[in-house]
Amino acid sequence: MGLGFAIGAFGVLILAHAAYSTIQYRGLLKIMEEEFSGPPMNVVVELLVGLVLCMWAALTVPGKFLSIHPHSDENRIVSLPANMDFMVFNHRGKVFPSAMDLKLKH
Amino acid sequence: MVTKTEETQLNRLEGQVENGGGGAWDYLCFVRKLKVRRSDKVLKYGLSILNDPKKRSSLGPEEWTLYEQVAIAAMDCQCFDVAKDCINVLQKRFPESKRVGRLEGMLLEAKGSWTEAEKAYLSLLEDNPLDQVIHKRRVALAKAQGNMSGAIEFINKYLETFMADSDTWRELAEIYVSLQMYKQAAFCYEELILAQPTVPLYHLAYADVLYTLGGLENLQAAKKYYSSTIELTGGKNTRALFGICLCTSAIAQLTKGRNKEEKDSPDLQSLATAALEKDYKQRASDKVSVLGSALKSLKVSS
Repeated sequence: MGLGFAIGAFGVLILAHAAYSTIQYRGLLKIMEEEFSGPPMNVVVELLVGLVLCMWAALTVPGKFLSIHPHSDENRIVSLPANMDFMVFNHRGKVFPSAMDLKLKH
Repeated sequence: MVTKTEETQLNRLEGQVENGGGGAWDYLCFVRKLKVRRSDKVLKYGLSILNDPKKRSSLGPEEWTLYEQVAIAAMDCQCFDVAKDCINVLQKRFPESKRVGRLEGMLLEAKGSWTEAEKAYLSLLEDNPLDQVIHKRRVALAKAQGNMSGAIEFINKYLETFMADSDTWRELAEIYVSLQMYKQAAFCYEELILAQPTVPLYHLAYADVLYTLGGLENLQAAKKYYSSTIELTGGKNTRALFGICLCTSAIAQLTKGRNKEEKDSPDLQSLATAALEKDYKQRASDKVSVLGSALKSLKVSS
């Protein structure tokens, strides 16, 4: 978790540095009076590296992902709850004697 | 709603506790969370925790919830003195409590003194006329006495005020089915499906009721709802697969004389049959021949 956070922060820093580099590059081009066609190659590489790091951090930091399939084993409803509010005690279990000698002792 | 992983976890915990592996408190919490009815085990293990003063003090404030759970389980297992003791302890701790009053009413109900239980519930309702739980206990009281029409009347009055209570709609549907009033039961299941459309068991129950009603339109609707159950459960519900086969053969029998509008359903039945055979081969391979002969008799009549 700490590692994920650190890598995420590092990725964000790399992206910020890439943005700063692009702004500096544009300033340089303004001085040299050339058209700004696109960021230089190293900035593009830096952007890709930052993207990979941030994505990896985003996937590992939150922890275990939950299943969204309605029919996966975690989400598949097998039986409904027994509706305890309407529970009736007048059932056939009355004729079975409780074999256990249970008492609340105190 | 009990999911598959929760069911396996519950069975595992139960086996562990039965074999003396500890974890009784986890088991009791899990039973309480899933709202399943395992009264004999709850009683046995709950009492083992409550009778041991060390374990009891380690529970802290959860002790009282355990008393309540054990009291209800004791009433279900007909151990009335245990229930009475638990209720006394709770009353000493929480005098003038409505929850304890409800437990006392339930004890009177379990013992069979219907009139006194009714009086107790009515007095509780006087103080608080909008108490949902007491209304439901009155319904259960009527049901226990066998007075189904009275229970239906109470439920209908309750549902006029609290329309969003899915458990009550489910209870009403089950009462109607037990009285064979299938049209009304179908209405209740429609309400349930409207409120919670992702629960496949409601679709399944609705399809069962429609299939029981019979008639061509109901059978076609039943087939649609069996299909939606299969879709929601990913094909793992055997009952819905059987339902499709039965519906198709029943529809074919009804439309035998008429000119057949070619529907795209012969695929559906063969798919369902194939899925059933695969499931049986995997889980009960000695019964595959029984399944085969049953399905063949369905096809012959269609």
